[in-house]
Amino acid sequence: MTDPKRRLVDRLPKGHAVALLAFLVLVLYPAFRPYDTYYQTVLCITFLLGVQAVSWNIISGYAGYVSLGHSAFLGIGSYTAAILAERSGVNPLWMAPIGGVVAVVTATLLGLVVLRTRGHAFVIITIALLLSAQIIAVNWRSLTNGSDGITLDLPPWSRDIQNMPFYYLFLGLFFLTVLFSALIRRTKLGTGLVAIREDEGKAAAVGVNTTRYKVTAFAASAFFIGVAGGVYAYFLTFLNPVGAFTILGSVTIVLAAMAGGRGTLYGPVVGAFIVGIGQEMATVYGGSSSRVLLFGVALMLIVLFLPAGLLPTLDGWWRRRHTTGTEYQDQAGALGAGTLQVRDRALASVVVSDAVEAGAPAALPMLEVKGAAKAFGGITAVDGADLTVAAGSITALIGPNGSGKTTLFNLVTGAMKADAGEVWLDGTRIDRMHPWQRGHLGLARTFQTTRLFTSMSVLENMVAPLPDARWSTMLKPSVAGHEADRARELLEFVGMARFVSQPAGSLSYGQQKLVELAQVLMLEPRLVLLDEPAGGVNPSLVGRIVEIVRDLNRQGVTFLVVEHNIPMVLELCDPVVVFARGKAIAEGPPQTIREDPVVLDAYLGDEWRPPAASAAGPGASTDATQEVR
Amino acid sequence: MTELVQAVVLGLLIGGVYALMASGLTLIFGVMNIINVAQGAFLVMVAFFTWWLWRETGIDPILASVVTTPLMFGFGWVLYRTVMVRIRGWSPSMSVLLTFGLALTIEGILNITAGNKFKSATPSYFEESFRIGSLSFPKAQVYGFLAAVLVLAALYVVLTRTWTGRAIRASSHNPSGAALVGIGATSTAALAFALGSSTAGVGGSILSVLYPFFPASHYDWISRLLGIIVLGGLGSLPGALVGALVLGLAETLTATYGSLRWATLVFYLVILAVLLFRPQGLYGTRLREDVAA
Repeated sequence: MTDPKRRLVDRLPKGHAVALLAFLVLVLYPAFRPYDTYYQTVLCITFLLGVQAVSWNIISGYAGYVSLGHSAFLGIGSYTAAILAERSGVNPLWMAPIGGVVAVVTATLLGLVVLRTRGHAFVIITIALLLSAQIIAVNWRSLTNGSDGITLDLPPWSRDIQNMPFYYLFLGLFFLTVLFSALIRRTKLGTGLVAIREDEGKAAAVGVNTTRYKVTAFAASAFFIGVAGGVYAYFLTFLNPVGAFTILGSVTIVLAAMAGGRGTLYGPVVGAFIVGIGQEMATVYGGSSSRVLLFGVALMLIVLFLPAGLLPTLDGWWRRRHTTGTEYQDQAGALGAGTLQVRDRALASVVVSDAVEAGAPAALPMLEVKGAAKAFGGITAVDGADLTVAAGSITALIGPNGSGKTTLFNLVTGAMKADAGEVWLDGTRIDRMHPWQRGHLGLARTFQTTRLFTSMSVLENMVAPLPDARWSTMLKPSVAGHEADRARELLEFVGMARFVSQPAGSLSYGQQKLVELAQVLMLEPRLVLLDEPAGGVNPSLVGRIVEIVRDLNRQGVTFLVVEHNIPMVLELCDPVVVFARGKAIAEGPPQTIREDPVVLDAYLGDEWRPPAASAAGPGASTDATQEVR
Repeated sequence: MTELVQAVVLGLLIGGVYALMASGLTLIFGVMNIINVAQGAFLVMVAFFTWWLWRETGIDPILASVVTTPLMFGFGWVLYRTVMVRIRGWSPSMSVLLTFGLALTIEGILNITAGNKFKSATPSYFEESFRIGSLSFPKAQVYGFLAAVLVLAALYVVLTRTWTGRAIRASSHNPSGAALVGIGATSTAALAFALGSSTAGVGGSILSVLYPFFPASHYDWISRLLGIIVLGGLGSLPGALVGALVLGLAETLTATYGSLRWATLVFYLVILAVLLFRPQGLYGTRLREDVAA
């Protein structure tokens, strides 16, 4: 049995080594064949396509927001450099970086408008961007010379060396773009982008400022294309609106990235060579008129039959041929693990919890919900609910299905906006904040149906949460040092340490629950909302979860638990709040709640016999974990 | 004043046609979460077919929608059953890419079969107008508007008064719930896709009279239609109606007081302005997603 971690380490540099070798060959090629002008030109176009496909991959591959108008940035870069060069008389190549800057500014402004929400407006606006850019280029004649276009001076260098300078410029830009993409993927920004692609709501819940991430990715995906646009304008020495803002340019970008493998580092690189050389051959052998048809059919075939792209498909095929041993959960390890230590932020509230325990009047409740309301169409899920969670407590929230518990969670974490009411976290009003801002204040939650980032490894899932909003945090390496150690430590506590390098999606439901619990602890939360932590987890591990919650609570972390496992609730939590029809109908210590006629009527029902089951704690027997129906 | 009234009326007339075209797109999105980027190509394809039919037989182009609508219904149904069904349950971005590929394929086929030239159907009333006082209404626009409103009304009746319509709406609100009460997801989706495509039948026939077109025109059309549904809120039929009227008005008002060349740009600026204040569009809603299986 090979160690999967080691295999991964072995494989990565191999990919880089192949890429580096290919790069060296391309660097040396013109030295050996300096007069192959035709092939050099084809390669120039391929490198240009590579710059674009790799850049596109940052927003559309990593973050999953498909852009169909990305060639607009090439046109924007071209026009910027050409216009500036024409007006100033300076060589366009010096203006190319400014083209990149203008592309970035355009992307940022557009992104700030359309990337604030989840969803599909983005792809549509990118098409609009391309067409708008063309309209402007045609009609703003004083700036762009309209449909007549702009003609640039020929390059000053000798005709003997022909395209050689362009060859190296494009190759250099291509190299830099790949390097840039690789760097992004290695930072927390990269992990966050993949998290957004996998599950944007969840990403926001673990502290990822999704808007900033997406806008940054969009801006980053525009820069090198804009720079390349300036070089390209000089390469062509002529540009007009139809040529500069062609949708076919976008098509080749999409096709290249899709063919090679969207979302991977080298997929778009490989794809650029396939599509760049393929389209040249198609033009030579099939004529340019059939290009549209060819691209269309190719795109459809790729989506239908090779949706992941070439590299991931080959990789998957390789893995199936070389399977590794299966890891099992380290239950004994989990059960035997000692006390879990929490750190700084949680400890800050220990003082408060001591005060509560001592019976002194609590300074501020950890969570206070005042008159929260939320309706879906005609159904009022939460109806003027009030809820107070004392600092240092383990408060339970129980109630029949559909009583509004999960919706209340959503209002507290910001996954949804309340129609009315206020939410206060430790003295700060949070109901107008973004979910990630609430996360940064120390609010964390787990989900009823687990929401891990399924294509990421367990370890990557663990380091995806962001504890603060600093840019420097965003640009740190994603899996490194202290944080990775902490992640491993937390995984050990839930018995999942052997799974660090497995994809989270391959874990069982119960295992995912455990990883998700460990994951939100990475935020160093002060208040953790647990949505049915025991659902689907085996009884002895329920006991372990109870222990972990107690440990953390003793160190100052406050909990609010939604759970149907009544014995567990009664054993673990105090106070218990009972929810029905969108508001709290009773609150008190477990003993009182168990005998409250209102609660029995609304929720527990006549069949509930308190004395029989309360003796048996959770984990003591399987009977005790039965769910109340 | 006359100028303004004239512009507003013309804007509403063309807006009605846009509304019909966009309703199919938003219907398909609402039920299946598919952004059908090929809807513009459908329109242009039908416009070519209508033009050919009109030239060969002299059948009135707008009246030809009696033929093209059922044809597109069948086309949509077959397309869903053979191609679109394969990507069911995938992320919507894959549907964008697939239908984008489809749009290019249609464009490529039209390039080869119909030629890369501007065409326009010109029936006898092509350049005539109705006159009311000092206002004039081009007959083609009036007929086109009437046909569009008729089909929109029919679509509304189908969606609200028939079992099929209720099934489609149920699926768009809650697919798994609809499946539980016996609404077959695939057949409902196929019907919705077919209905959405059929609006391109009428729309394309009307288009052939109102605007000159050539194979690559579908980019203009799809970006207009997508703009409409982004403005109105993706998946919302009332949103598509309002968005379409806004586009119609933006175009005629810009053409009257500025220049037609900037009309599309003005519309995009309106969209951006709306998105700035309502990121989900005018009628867009955000539903709870945490429990969606």
